[in-house]
Amino acid sequence: MTVKECYEVMKGDYDDVLSRLRTDERIKKFLLRVLDDMSFTQLCNALENRDMEEAFRAAHTLKGVCKNMSLTNLAYSSSNLTEALRGRSDYGEDIDALFKKVKKDYALTMACIQML
Amino acid sequence: MTSKKRILIVDDSEMNRALLEDMLSDEYEILEAENGMRAVAILREHELDISLVLLDIVMPVMDGFETLAMMNKQGWISHIPVIMISAETASTYMDRAYGLGAVDYISRPFDERTVRHRVNSNVILGESRRELSLRLTEQVYEKEKDNRLMIEILSHIVEFRNGESGLHVLHVHAITELLLKAVMKKTDKYRLKPNDITLICNASALHDVGKISIPSEILNKPGRFTPEEFEVMKNHTVEGAKMLREIPLRENEPLIKIGYEICRWHHERYDGRGYPDGLKGEEIPIAAQVVSLADVYDALTAKRVYKPAYSPEKAMEMILNGECGAFNPLLLECLKDSEELLKNELTVLSMGNAADKEIQNTVATALKTGGTDVSNRTIRLLEHERMKSKILSDLSREIMFEYSVSPEMIILTDWGSEYLGMPINIMEPRESEFGTKFFKRKDFSSVLDKLKKTTPENSEIAEKYALTINGVKTWCKVIAKAMWSDTEPPEYEGAIGKIIDISEETEELKQLEEKANLDFRTGLLNHEAAKEKITALLSSGRGKQYALVFFDLDNFKQANDVYGHLFGDEVLEYLADTVRKNTRSSDIAARMGGDEFIVFMGYKGSIEPQVKRIFSALTGEFKGFPIKVSMGVACVDGGVQDYDTLFEMADKAAYSVKRSGKNSFRIYDESLSGVVTDRD
Repeated sequence: MTVKECYEVMKGDYDDVLSRLRTDERIKKFLLRVLDDMSFTQLCNALENRDMEEAFRAAHTLKGVCKNMSLTNLAYSSSNLTEALRGRSDYGEDIDALFKKVKKDYALTMACIQML
Repeated sequence: MTSKKRILIVDDSEMNRALLEDMLSDEYEILEAENGMRAVAILREHELDISLVLLDIVMPVMDGFETLAMMNKQGWISHIPVIMISAETASTYMDRAYGLGAVDYISRPFDERTVRHRVNSNVILGESRRELSLRLTEQVYEKEKDNRLMIEILSHIVEFRNGESGLHVLHVHAITELLLKAVMKKTDKYRLKPNDITLICNASALHDVGKISIPSEILNKPGRFTPEEFEVMKNHTVEGAKMLREIPLRENEPLIKIGYEICRWHHERYDGRGYPDGLKGEEIPIAAQVVSLADVYDALTAKRVYKPAYSPEKAMEMILNGECGAFNPLLLECLKDSEELLKNELTVLSMGNAADKEIQNTVATALKTGGTDVSNRTIRLLEHERMKSKILSDLSREIMFEYSVSPEMIILTDWGSEYLGMPINIMEPRESEFGTKFFKRKDFSSVLDKLKKTTPENSEIAEKYALTINGVKTWCKVIAKAMWSDTEPPEYEGAIGKIIDISEETEELKQLEEKANLDFRTGLLNHEAAKEKITALLSSGRGKQYALVFFDLDNFKQANDVYGHLFGDEVLEYLADTVRKNTRSSDIAARMGGDEFIVFMGYKGSIEPQVKRIFSALTGEFKGFPIKVSMGVACVDGGVQDYDTLFEMADKAAYSVKRSGKNSFRIYDESLSGVVTDRD
């Protein structure tokens, strides 16, 4: 799979990332690093422990990573979750739903990257 | 320093750091920190060679805003440009970052061109700012030096004509400064800023410049002035002011303005009875009020043609009594407060260093208030000092540390960190391995407490602690010096110190002590040590049963004579060994010298079985040489006996054995009291 195809499947913005990072080679190098990024795991743990502040930070970091790599789809869902978590101290159903969406998008994105 | 400039990237996402590093590493050396706390630690260490910081906002432990605040507090923000990188685009975030001194803001997702371009231009900008400030420092310094020089030349001409020493100008300058600083502490009524103080002090040198227009026969007349002469003399105030005012095109210079006030009104008095204008109270500008008091004080304490020098105490008394006219009560208070300082200042003041000190002050003030940063030259000097101290600390093989109060952390030297297997920067030291395992928790807080309780005058502590170094409990001496700021009041900022392993010393001392107690030939105790221990036992164990056994070899002389001294020594070692094997650890065995030994032991019931056992163990042969001893025993049985008495008894018993055929033992009894031994 080429980098461009990969972006198409995981609903990212290939043109955007190319214009910023300049080469396929570099994009690929950093996509592979997204696999090692711990923010998603941290997010899951934090939500499980109901540590809302930590969850906010993790979601925020995940969003940042996605934006950097123009992973538009995952960036969008994690951004929604981030905003819901901002300044929050209690867990709620809205978060459940948003988190589910993030999980789904994350799984798809990781699957695509692994096929590179 | 490395040739590549250094950039610090602060972001909690490793991925983001890597991305930025990838974009910048061809041109810059990259340092990374995963949160603000780490960043502060790195900045503290590399303050002088970091060209730029890229800073994320949302991070654990210490976020971007807190980091900026800390950089402000430490003064780093003035010479290290910071670019914020964040996905937060809300304008409140940007405003806050700019407000805290960030120079630029890049929002995520960033692209390579933007990052490189902004980093490059801000690095260059930062460099040229440093360059400029260096030049400014030098220029300010030069300019101030010239200014001061001109004023001094001028004033000395006046004083020279006046037959004064030239010190008067310097003294008035120093007293004026002390008074103004005291005023500033007491009240902000006069709105004095550090700049104003410099200006007034400089201008104070001009106070008598008008005297240049006074005919010298009046100026230097030793006796009293006639009323007419006094009128002429008084005129130096108006003349001086006029001279300053008439300097072409300079009437708006602050120095000229203040100089005018000082010249014209430094003989006015608070009650309106001075000259030339009879101004009253606060109508007299504060600069003139202060200089007039300084002028009077120095005139009183100096020798003049018409008067001797008064002591500082006398001068103070005369001024406070109003003998030199009325002054602002507030200034009189300031004068009283500064009494001690004044005495010191005026005695150490010599011409050369006064000028230099003033210029240093001026430069420091100009730099601070001008908002420019520390000069490159200073940076180079600091860097040099830092390298020097690093090398020295590595060489010394001592654990050195720095402690800072805010943020609370311990910084170790490279060598110390490696030796202890701990990081160089230790955050939250009270909870760290350093503060809980290396130091015992209570010891560590005791060290910190002690440091906090020091004073700037007495800021050193030295204590011994048992520390755990790499799992081994080790006696160490901790020597530290608390760092107090030079602000008023001084603030406790942290400490520097070192930890010295003294276990070897302690161990050696202990061994030496032991050695001193031992007989070098046999390893048994020597007589002195044994006597000491026995005496202690006798006094603590009153009422118990003890026995002192004394013996010597019957034929030792023969062993030496026939088999040689080396063999004699072997025999002694053998005997000592046998004694050791046949006594308990609670017994005391010693060689008294020559072939004489003693054993001191406790017993219950009868002493005889114990003595018999030792006697027969000793009797036998060693390498074919027959071993026979004569042994005397003295018992403490309830009665109080001192060591010497006891020894004498055992000796007498042994002596009687010798006299009656040797190779036996005898327990002392009353019948032996009359025996006279060789020793007697």
